Amino acid sequence: MVLAMKRDQKSSLVWFAFALYICIETARKLPIGTWSDPGPGFWPLGAGLILGGLAALAFLKSLPGKFSEEKVPWYPLHTWKRIAAVLLALLIYAATMDSLGFLLGTFLLLIFLFRVAEPQRWTLALGASALISLAAYGLFEKWLRTQLPTGIWGF
Amino acid sequence: MDFFANLSLAFSVIFQPNNLLFCFIGCLIGTLVGVLPGLGPPAAIALLLPSTLHMSPVAAIIMLGGIYYGAMYGGSTTSILVNIPGEAASVVTCLDGYQMARQGRAGPALGMSAFGSFFAGTIATLFIMMVAPPLARFALKFGPPEYFSLMFLGLTLVTSLGTGSLIKGLMMAAVGIFLGTIGTDIISGMERFTYGSYTLMDGLGFIPVIMGLFGIPEVLENLEGSLKREVYKTKISHIFPTLKDWGDSIWAMIRGSFLGFFIGILPGGGPMIASLAAYATEKRISKHPEKFGTGVIEGVAAPEAANNAASQGAFIPLLSLGVPGNATMAVLMGALLIYGIKPGPFLIDKNPDLFWGVIGSMYVGNLTLLILNLPLIGLWVKFLKIPYALLYPLILVFTLVGSYSVNNSIYDVITMILFGVVGYVMKKFKYEGAPLILALVLSPLMENALRQSLILSHGSFGIFFTRPISLVLFVAAILSLASQIAPGFRKKLKIEG
Repeated sequence: MVLAMKRDQKSSLVWFAFALYICIETARKLPIGTWSDPGPGFWPLGAGLILGGLAALAFLKSLPGKFSEEKVPWYPLHTWKRIAAVLLALLIYAATMDSLGFLLGTFLLLIFLFRVAEPQRWTLALGASALISLAAYGLFEKWLRTQLPTGIWGF
Repeated sequence: MDFFANLSLAFSVIFQPNNLLFCFIGCLIGTLVGVLPGLGPPAAIALLLPSTLHMSPVAAIIMLGGIYYGAMYGGSTTSILVNIPGEAASVVTCLDGYQMARQGRAGPALGMSAFGSFFAGTIATLFIMMVAPPLARFALKFGPPEYFSLMFLGLTLVTSLGTGSLIKGLMMAAVGIFLGTIGTDIISGMERFTYGSYTLMDGLGFIPVIMGLFGIPEVLENLEGSLKREVYKTKISHIFPTLKDWGDSIWAMIRGSFLGFFIGILPGGGPMIASLAAYATEKRISKHPEKFGTGVIEGVAAPEAANNAASQGAFIPLLSLGVPGNATMAVLMGALLIYGIKPGPFLIDKNPDLFWGVIGSMYVGNLTLLILNLPLIGLWVKFLKIPYALLYPLILVFTLVGSYSVNNSIYDVITMILFGVVGYVMKKFKYEGAPLILALVLSPLMENALRQSLILSHGSFGIFFTRPISLVLFVAAILSLASQIAPGFRKKLKIEG
């Protein structure tokens, strides 16, 4: 119960900080203009002010004792590890896509994904990864003429 | 006379082999998206959008539209057999559909759901033909103030009719508006929040943001729990409902179709609200409301008719006014803009083949979906049995390659992953993505309309309240917000009093 309340408080503070960033950056770098001739900073400043006002309201609403709170589920550590591993794998894939090339990078990523969530047999993981990589390559590179990265090995 | 000329144009466009093929592909993918939990229509459409860049815009919109309403058909299969909604709009079908399956009546439930969807889809298409052209002609009277008010109304309705907190919805809309300002200002040519990045000069990539916000969090949420799902083991027979089933369902189906269509037209309405409203209406007017939830067939027919009618009705504000009413329509609007087509009142006159082609595709698509969902039901059940552990890597690879293929840019992939993380965290903190996406698409248009309005009025905001259409739209927007705020105030007053 209390956890949910704290979460709303925290999230509203994060959005308030984001709104502050928008307002300060706009005021520093962009002309706001006048009411009769709004400048490029007018619209983002408005968005920042509205977001800030709403975040402040959300924070006040989430103060303890004022409103009833609903439970937010929390998951065991191994679930978070699984999610973090998938996200990390995606980031590594994006970062190495140019050097590894599409085919090899996708093949390696798929093997990892097949093994990380609910470990599949190696033969299945290897076979399915190869098949999906080749099918995606055929679909995007050959059929849709997307220029996929070839990597340092040229494929 | 016009009606039949337009109908003839609609069928002449859809019966071109290329368009017919993509209509079929859209319906097929839509059913698959509906059947498989964990991938909704906005994510699926965003996922496939890059692959349509080499197609004709007519074929592309026909296919993407087919995915949207096709998902409404497919979603019910999962609701009935697994008790998990295949997509959000089928959530209420679980209540009676799954109970029917447990009583050995999965066949009639699936059959009535498909017939209800077909009936509603066909009626809704007929209504679109009657409503959209006059609405577009009326919208020709709109100037910048009216457009601003209309888009403002759309945003407030999406946030106020959403399932979550109003304040959080409005915050997401404000974030979307800000994200829409990133890039080069089209009036002054000044760069905003680009920090010298060439990639950001054209603005934040629309497709990667949508894929990130809708695709990745759904996958991650599915990874939280067990990846196994239990398909209710039952023999699927008697798909064609009996006369008694028809008697019990026909009025529910008709009411659901009308209600769904009108909720679909409303910006912010959408299939999910339509199906919930149709179910609630049926329960309220039923002679045996206590039986709802125990496996009554009208509890399947009404929401399934409503969600399909709403999904097709939602095309009206997009195609005739240029304002998307929900997240999926926002993705379709983004697609149209990428193809160089501006949705709005001029679309029907300037791109008649696109508008009437979409209409024709709805007739053909609904028939295709009926065939796909009834005789081929066994095939979709087999898809349901594919373990998610084998499916999610495929979804992730498609999101990665899809976001890369828009501009052949790694930055788009990184943007997509980052927004995936943001979207996941947002879900955990109960912030909805739909207002953000809608605001992101509408932000440049709203900014333009606001600045033009203020220049026209020499800086007076009175321009929004002195023009009748704009005033009506603004009042409707304020009322939609007030209707959400008022109960809260009433409650507070009651507590303090």
